Amino acid sequence: MPDAAAAARAFRALLRAYPRAFRERHGREMELFFRDRWAEGRGAGRGRLAIWGETLLDLAASAPREHLRAVVGRRRRGRPPHDQHTPPSGEPMQTLLQDARYAARTLARRPGFAAAAVLTLALGIGATTAVFSVVHAVLLRPLPWRDADRVVAAFATTPRSQSEAVSWPEYQDWVRGAPSFAGLAIVRGQSVNLTGGGAPPDRLVGSFATASLFPVLGAEAALGRTFAPAETEEATAQPVAVASHGLWQERFGGDSSILGRTLTLNGRTVTIVGVMPRGFETPYGTPDVWLPLPFYPNTNGLSRQHASMLAIGRLRPGATPEQARAELQAVERRLAAEYPELNAGRGARVVAMREVLVGDARPVLLTLFAAVLVVLLIACTNVANLQLVRAAARRREISVRAALGASASRIARQLLTESLLLAAAGGALGLLLAHWGVAALGAVIPASLPVFGGISLEPAVLGFAVAITLGTGLLFGLVPALHAARAGLGAALATRGGTGAARGGVRGVRGGVRGAFVVAQVALSIVLLVPAGLLIRSLLELQRVRPGFDPRGVLTMEYRLPVAKYREPAQIVAFMTQAIARIREVPGVRSAALARAIPFSGNSDGFAYLVEGRPAPAPGTTPLLQLNTVSDGYFRTLGIPLLGGRDFTARDAAEAPPVIIVNRTFAEREWPGESPLGRRVMALGGREWMTVVGVVGDARHFTLADVPAAQAYLPYAQNPAVFSSVAVRVEGSAAPESLGPAVRAAIWSVDRDQPVWKLRSLETLMGGSLVAQRLTTRLLAGFAAAALLLAGLGIYGVMSHAVAQRTREVGIRMALGARGAQVLRQVLGEGMVLTALAAALGLAGAFAATRLLSSQLYGVSAKDPATFATVPLILAAVALAACYLPARRASRVDPVEALREE
Amino acid sequence: MADPSELLPLTPVVFHVLVALADGDRHGYAIAREVERVTDGEIRMGPGTLYGSIQRMEASGLIEESAPRAADPAAERRRYYRITAFGRQALRLESERLARMVSLARSRNLIRDGGRA
Repeated sequence: MPDAAAAARAFRALLRAYPRAFRERHGREMELFFRDRWAEGRGAGRGRLAIWGETLLDLAASAPREHLRAVVGRRRRGRPPHDQHTPPSGEPMQTLLQDARYAARTLARRPGFAAAAVLTLALGIGATTAVFSVVHAVLLRPLPWRDADRVVAAFATTPRSQSEAVSWPEYQDWVRGAPSFAGLAIVRGQSVNLTGGGAPPDRLVGSFATASLFPVLGAEAALGRTFAPAETEEATAQPVAVASHGLWQERFGGDSSILGRTLTLNGRTVTIVGVMPRGFETPYGTPDVWLPLPFYPNTNGLSRQHASMLAIGRLRPGATPEQARAELQAVERRLAAEYPELNAGRGARVVAMREVLVGDARPVLLTLFAAVLVVLLIACTNVANLQLVRAAARRREISVRAALGASASRIARQLLTESLLLAAAGGALGLLLAHWGVAALGAVIPASLPVFGGISLEPAVLGFAVAITLGTGLLFGLVPALHAARAGLGAALATRGGTGAARGGVRGVRGGVRGAFVVAQVALSIVLLVPAGLLIRSLLELQRVRPGFDPRGVLTMEYRLPVAKYREPAQIVAFMTQAIARIREVPGVRSAALARAIPFSGNSDGFAYLVEGRPAPAPGTTPLLQLNTVSDGYFRTLGIPLLGGRDFTARDAAEAPPVIIVNRTFAEREWPGESPLGRRVMALGGREWMTVVGVVGDARHFTLADVPAAQAYLPYAQNPAVFSSVAVRVEGSAAPESLGPAVRAAIWSVDRDQPVWKLRSLETLMGGSLVAQRLTTRLLAGFAAAALLLAGLGIYGVMSHAVAQRTREVGIRMALGARGAQVLRQVLGEGMVLTALAAALGLAGAFAATRLLSSQLYGVSAKDPATFATVPLILAAVALAACYLPARRASRVDPVEALREE
Repeated sequence: MADPSELLPLTPVVFHVLVALADGDRHGYAIAREVERVTDGEIRMGPGTLYGSIQRMEASGLIEESAPRAADPAAERRRYYRITAFGRQALRLESERLARMVSLARSRNLIRDGGRA
């Protein structure tokens, strides 16, 4: 089992936390122990996290103890062995309190040090906790449905796509052919028009669903009932509705007499039979109202051609997604034989709902979490360094205590208590910062992230904060404590407990623990700076992308005509023609048009197409295009250039010959080097050839990172549809939103019952597509900046201390004729050697780290040489600045003063 | 190792490891499982805790390494431990000490036979 082997490897690495002798004696046996526990735990269905959590706790409790015992053992060798046993009960607690009081007093004497350490830790712990709250909410917290790990998404697949929606008849075939599901539901989200009751027309978020949706999600109505199965069957469908808690509160004031009341939705009177509980959410959004699926109002919406519904299933206990998938695949194979033109090459896929919802967010979140952990690690190293400096300064105090009989373990424990006290203070302040951080993150988190129930400092997150607080205390406290205990012991054992023995503990900058700390810090900050640099470059590239239209000064909105009222295509065309004419009369409107799918609105359409005079491609391989249905004036309104031919006009009416406008990419793909005008194409399964009458520029439709796709436009009058968006270009530099009410009034002057929604400027829509990238980039850049700052402080601290330690040496050298400039060069040189070593390590780490990032990058390679070259230069500049001040101090040492000091 | 009574009272972990070894030699994980079993999961040791205790119990002479089992495949040969005579003595003394405490509690009607306080 590769899983177990990887776990064992990780455990082996963790064994380094124990003293070498202990590890050499017991390491192999401990690994075998861990393997057994892993195999047995996994076999019994325990989670990896649970086993790791238990193992890490054991490690955190036992590793420090073994270190202490190793130190004590050296000191007390020769005494009877049982003396190494735990001290008589009662003593530890007392000692702990004594140590804590002593630590508090010592810290209070050095408020500057304490404040610096607490603040550094608070920032690290606060940021880590805030990011963890998001990681927890998205990746770890159970989804809000009963037995949520049995809730799955089922998709159709095609050779081109792994996540295709299904049709109503296809769904019914699935239900009959897949016994692994305890229940299978489909939903189709669509806005519905709410009219009547004397209020202005409004739009509700609707969900057309099968009755099985509620049991699949394990949900029951808070009031009344959900749908009965027969109510959502095609033959026996009833005009009933289930309201959300929000709708009940807003529209009905929470009145419990709502059951049995009616609403006019899409022009049809429906009876409310139930209200869902507060906070009930479905995987695909939170609608205001659920309606039986057979009322899905699109023309042919229930036909096999119309595959637009999303399937949600609940597996039977014991059934696996693979079983369910195999059953659905078998159904799809039968359908492919029965309906080859529709279903050839079609398959099915069943995925845990969490995977579908989290999707691309997982690597991004894990990257950010790793980044913030690195910042915390750097913060720990800085505090450890501060502790070492203090321990060095307190050597006299420690050796006195040692001479008075304090054991090495007692001294180490004392220093560790101090560290834990600092960590606790840092953790408390960090929680406060995390509280604000969580609020700030909650406000900016992209809507695309599946955060059911929001993010907050809930118990699991608080537990995490406590754990990392203790962890950091041990992490930055252990090395200095052991270091000081050994040094103190050395001092006590030396006949004259003076500086000679103590100096043994302080090696040059290059060697020694502190040098290693600095190298680690600088290397880690490079590991952060490189990905941050890449993301910033990627965002800049994205912002430079020209979308192919001019988003400035364009207002957009949406409406959907009720099918019950607009039955005939001619009625829809009449509404469209009148509405567009009225909108164009509104003062301040320069041009206006209708479109089915405004770029960046999330709406889209497409079909597979055939070209006249070419052999039909094999089923399932027909090329696809992005489709938009637009009125005349659309290209002018959005600023999409007309490259050849003509725009649609009023002559392209329902009875006129069918026409189509294609984009440059389409033209170059199908007719390279030739004019596409006059050529004919047809939708796969369509009946009429459409003549190309114009060529326009490419327009990005979903994101700025889109690869230019083949696009085509059809005239509205020949393809009327009840759903439409309005695009309005305003005169001059007026804010587009300011025209919203007037444009809406123009639509109401045609039909006063027609709701209009999503009044937004095109720039707002485009900005929305970058929210996630901007947030990720800003966070990562912020973490990298914090890392850089901390690393700079770390270098400065170590170099200043080293210079102070060597005042005497420098003094002698200057007395022997060395000049200030030479000393300056030498100190700077030492700092730069450390930096260079760290840079090499860091770049190697960054090289590995950025591979995880490559899917997030646009227009810049994960191995971008410019970034990899620039980051070490920035770091070198910071390191140079951090070394310069101490180096200058060294070069100005007065030899006489320096020699007199000792 | 003169007087085992110097080691008393034994910590719960040490006591249970000795009990687990009293009826046969075991390797580390088998010890942990046995302890977990007889304590109904109340004492569940990780590798660090167990081998830390084993280290000290070996040093105090309570237990010692025993000969490896022939039954184990060579690659997976594990280290087995057995209780020493000194260990048995300590275990007996500790059990007697505990029994005295229990009978004291019983004589003051603090607990009933087989029941909890």
